[in-house]
Formats: sequence, structure tokens, C-alpha cells
Amino acid sequence: MDLLDLIDAVQSAADGILFGATYALLGIGFTLIFGVMHKINLSYAAASIGAAYASLLVLAVIKAPAILVFLIAAAAGGLIGGLVYLIGFRFIPLANPLATLMSTVGLLLLIDEIIVHTTAGVPLNYPALFSDVIVRAGPFGLRGDLMFVFALGCVCMVVLLLLLYRTRLGLATRAVSQQPTASKLCGISTTQVNVLTFVITGVVGGIAGAMTGAAIGMLSPLLSLPLTVKGLIVTVIGGLGSIPGAIIAGLIVGGLENVLQYFRGVSERDLYIMLLLFAFLVFRPGGIFAMPTGRD
Amino acid sequence: MRKVSIAMAAMVAGAALAASGAASAQERTVKITGFGAKSGVVRVFGVNSEAALKAAAEEINKAGGVTLGDGSKAKFSIDFLDDRCNAEEGISVVRRIASSEAFVAVGPTCSNVAESLFGILQKKVGDASDSGLQFPIIADVAAKGGLAKISEWAFRNVPSEFEMYKSLMAWVKTQHPDLKTIYGGVEKDFAHSNATYGVMKAQAEGNGFQVLGTSEWLLNDTTFSTQVRDMKRANADIVAISAHPFTTCGVLKEMDRQGVKPKLLIGLTSSSSIETLQGCAKQAEGIIIPTSFAPVTPEATKAAEQVAKFGGSADLHSAAAYEIMFILKDVIERQKIMAKPDTVQADRNKMREGLAALKETKGLLGKVGRTADREAIKPFLYVHAKDGSWQVLHKPAT
Repeated sequence: MDLLDLIDAVQSAADGILFGATYALLGIGFTLIFGVMHKINLSYAAASIGAAYASLLVLAVIKAPAILVFLIAAAAGGLIGGLVYLIGFRFIPLANPLATLMSTVGLLLLIDEIIVHTTAGVPLNYPALFSDVIVRAGPFGLRGDLMFVFALGCVCMVVLLLLLYRTRLGLATRAVSQQPTASKLCGISTTQVNVLTFVITGVVGGIAGAMTGAAIGMLSPLLSLPLTVKGLIVTVIGGLGSIPGAIIAGLIVGGLENVLQYFRGVSERDLYIMLLLFAFLVFRPGGIFAMPTGRD
Repeated sequence: MRKVSIAMAAMVAGAALAASGAASAQERTVKITGFGAKSGVVRVFGVNSEAALKAAAEEINKAGGVTLGDGSKAKFSIDFLDDRCNAEEGISVVRRIASSEAFVAVGPTCSNVAESLFGILQKKVGDASDSGLQFPIIADVAAKGGLAKISEWAFRNVPSEFEMYKSLMAWVKTQHPDLKTIYGGVEKDFAHSNATYGVMKAQAEGNGFQVLGTSEWLLNDTTFSTQVRDMKRANADIVAISAHPFTTCGVLKEMDRQGVKPKLLIGLTSSSSIETLQGCAKQAEGIIIPTSFAPVTPEATKAAEQVAKFGGSADLHSAAAYEIMFILKDVIERQKIMAKPDTVQADRNKMREGLAALKETKGLLGKVGRTADREAIKPFLYVHAKDGSWQVLHKPAT
């Protein structure tokens, strides 16, 4: 490996870590819902992309700045999150783990098809901020738009952590997550907490969808499935229910993906990511921040 | 007086009956079933094919319809089924069409569907030991080279990408003798992109270009920075991208960010569509793509307008569907197809024989040759993205 290879490898890792912020946001969404309801919402990434698509509607009406488009994506994400709860969870027997799993698979396909039927599957331009900015540091360059995505992702994570650990809503959410029956006895409405969790994670998802669109420069229904898979991998590696875990895992997966792409090529890249997933499932099923004991 | 009244009444009734008979003869319809992707990420191909089939059917119907084997006139009606670009669905859809009175089907969109689907057809006509489906299918979109060879019941009206890129690379060599090196980019997991990249690369080498390397990505990849960095290091004169609009645009945008500016850009046939311009018109500026359709003749312009009326967009794929309807009309008339419930298999045989016997058909850009392998030799031209639209760059002598 010569110096140029090393520079390219480091640059690839840096790009991947920055893009990994979107994986981290998706991982947070998966993990929050799992943390509160102990259910996996497989439609989460599709809903996030759906929210980003919905935000493009505003561009069809007025020439809005990118930041307004992102805000609308967040709002649309919240709305779609609420609808996902209503359709996929509210009236489904929660005691049956397969029922909600399948209902969210159905929702994933439904959201995907709604996007496809609305846009005929045609990729659409998505606005980005600082797309023409490259921050140079010697032989390295960091994309302004990816840095914005990364920074916004970090802000979202901090806000979420504050929400969870510094507000009454966060307290209620954690209470429902840890002791749903005791929470009910304390007068906490679990349904209300669940709805709010879906709306909040929907907002985060909307931002993740918008950031993904901004980072690629386009939206396509092709994004739903790979982002669902990445979100799930991040959730497992980070540890189901762990927000810091999802953040770190998102960045690791993003960085590793690019480095593996650089060294092993596209045909092997995903193979190693999957092996990493299996390694975590076998040796550290609780994720990065889990205690090493109590595996089974 | 009473006798006269009875005679008059009988005449009126007879005339009415004759009129109703004539009306019912006029109302005969021949249903042509198309199939392709109408859901999933390639839905736009199915939407365009359906619109093109309907637009052509309307044109034919306006001109009086099609003459059947018994001399009666019939109008075309179009049905279009969704195979979701999935091989199993495609086979199931065609089995459903074949269980009806249809004597031909038009489709599919995806090469992977065509490859599997043509495999369930009888390989050689008249082979009693082969229980494969005896049903003619003519493909409009599935573009991977050589697919019609699979069965004698399979036909295609798609352009030969081999001929297109052979011609394009030779033209580039003569027009830009200063360009020496080429770098490729390919969507590795898509049959059409992958196969066409093989053609592009071979033709580039055949014309004396030095291929410096190839970057690979997948159809639903989200980042292309590593691949484009390799491209940047190679610093080739020409970059040839064999990918569909979503990743073509992703790569072009990344090239823009990293400041990769080759002297010439070449793209995949399927990317000469409105999707690429919607996704990345600015970054695609200048990309050269060979295509078998552009609204450059009065027929092609009219077809594009008609297809738009039915909610589609005319491109090299949907234009093929448009042409197919006229091919079917000619074969129905020449082979005296009856289109009756009791002549279904005979009609299918006649349709297959008629399609196999074609030496030349009329295309929107000119005459289309037919090969012994049941493929088309279509006229083509080179377009380039300019000011947010596809404009004709050069029409090679074919």
C-alpha cells in the first residue's frame, strides 16, 4: 500500500463516517421504538424516505430553501410515524410478536408502493446545503453537505437524549419501556407514550430521510430496502434499545462500509458487514455497550 | 294494404338485423396483452410501454382497425399486466395470458424476466418431446443481448446494443483522435448494465482505447465516493457509465463534487430518458448515449405526442412497444389470423410463423431489419444531454 492508497483509504473512511450519521439516525428510530414497545418497526426506513418525498411536494408549489424542505420532511415524518402506529400497531394484538412484525413488513411495502405509484419510480432531485463546499485539510477533503448531515445528525441525537433524560415525556417513555404495568398504575397513558414515541421517531426518521436525500442528491424508492437493512444492522450492533449504541454503530457501519468498498470491492463489501453482524449476535448480542456477561 | 305493411315491417326488421350484424362485425375487438413492470422501482418502464401500446392501438383503430382472416374488421384493445420485474411473476403472468384466447403477448420490461420466461417456451418449433409453452412473445424493453435465441417462440424489437456501442466507439475514435484512455463504471448487480458494460469495454479496446480500470457499484448504493476517487486517480480521457438513471446520477453528482471532469462521457442506452434529466440534468450535461429513438422524424414526433397523451414518455423502449403494435397488425393481416376462440392455437402458430418470416419492419426512425435469431436491427443515433434536454448529436449511417 503506497501513500496514495493510504490517503484514499482514510478519505473513504471519513466520507463513510459522515454518511454514517444517517444510519445512526435510522438506528435511533429503530432502537427507540424497540426500547419503548419491544417491537421492531420494519417500515421505519421506508417511512423516512416517504417523509423526504413528501417534503418535495413543497418544492412543487414554491421555490423553497433547502432548510424549509428539511423541516417539512421532519414534520411529514412525525405525521407518517403517527399513522404507522395507528395502522401497524394500535389495533394489532401486541402480545403476538409476529403480528406487529408482519404488519410493519406490510407497511414497508405499502409505503414503498405509494412512493412508486406517485413518482413512477423515477429518481427525484433532492436539495442539499453546502453541496459546493469542500473543507480541505492537506490531501484530505470533507464534503460540506456531508458535514452538515453529520452535524445535524449529532444535534438530533443530543436533542433526543435531552428529551429522554431531561423531560417528563422522556421519563414517562423510559418508565413505559422498563415497567409498562407499573407505569399504567402510576397513571401514565401507555397509548399516549407509544403514539408520541412514534411521532418523535418519525420526526427523526424524516430528518434521516432528508439527510440521505441531501447526501446522495436524489431520492429513489430504491433506498427503502438498503436503509432498512442498514438500520437493523446498526440497531443490533449498537444494542437494541441503546441510543448511544445506535449512534456509534451507525458511524462504524458507515465508515467500515466505505473502507471495505475500497479494499475489497463492491462484491465483498456487504459480506463483511453481515459477518460483523453475526459476530455481534454470537459474541455480543446485547450490542456495543452491553455487559459481556449474561449472553443467554 | 295489410300485405304491404307486413312486407315493409319485414324489410325494416331485416335492415335492422343487417345493421346490427354489421355493427357487431365492426365491434369485434382483438385484445393484445402487454406485460412488464408496473410496480417497484422500474414502474416507469411499464407505464411507458402501456401508454405506447395504447397510443399505437388508437392510431390503428382510427385508421379503421385490423383486418382479420375472415375479412372482418376489428379494433385493438390493450390490456397490461404487472410482472413487478420478477421472473416468477413474469412466468405466472404469461401462463395466465396463455390460458386466455390471446395469440401473442408483448413484454417484458426486465431482462432477468425475459431470460427465465423465454426458458419456459418450447425451444424448437415442432419438437414433440418439448412440452414448453407454444405461445409467441415479442419483447419491447428487455435489452440484454441475444435473449431471443432461447426459444423459437421468442421475438424482440429491441435495438442491438452491440451494434450501437461498436458504432459509437468507432465514431468517438474518428471524431476525437486525441482521446486515448477510458475508465468504466458499472452497476454490477443489474443484468442489463453489466452485460452492456462488457460490450462497451470490448468495443473501446477494439477501437484502440486503453481501458484504465472499472469502478463497480450496486443498483441501490447510496455512496459513490470511493468509486469516483478511483476514477479520479485514473484520470482517463473518457468515462463510460453503464448504469440506470438513479446510480448514473449518483455517480455524476459525486464526480461533480470531486471535480472529475473527463473530456467525454458515455452513458447506458436506458439512461437516455427523462429520468436522468429529472435527477441530474446539470451533471449529465454532455453525456453521449446511443439510442434507437428520438423525435426526429414526423412519425416519431407524432408517436411521442400520442404516447404523452396516454400518460407515458416516448423513449427507446416505449417506442419499440409502439412499433410492435404496427408489426402485429401487419402479421395478423398477412397471416389471416382469425382471432376466434376456436382458432387460438392455430392463430398462435400463424403469429409465430408470421413474426419469424419478417425480414424488415417499419420503425419510427426508418426501416428495421430482422435477424434469423428473431432480433431487430434498428436504426439508431447518438444523443447528448444539452441544456436540460436530449438533443441529437449524430446520426450514423446504418
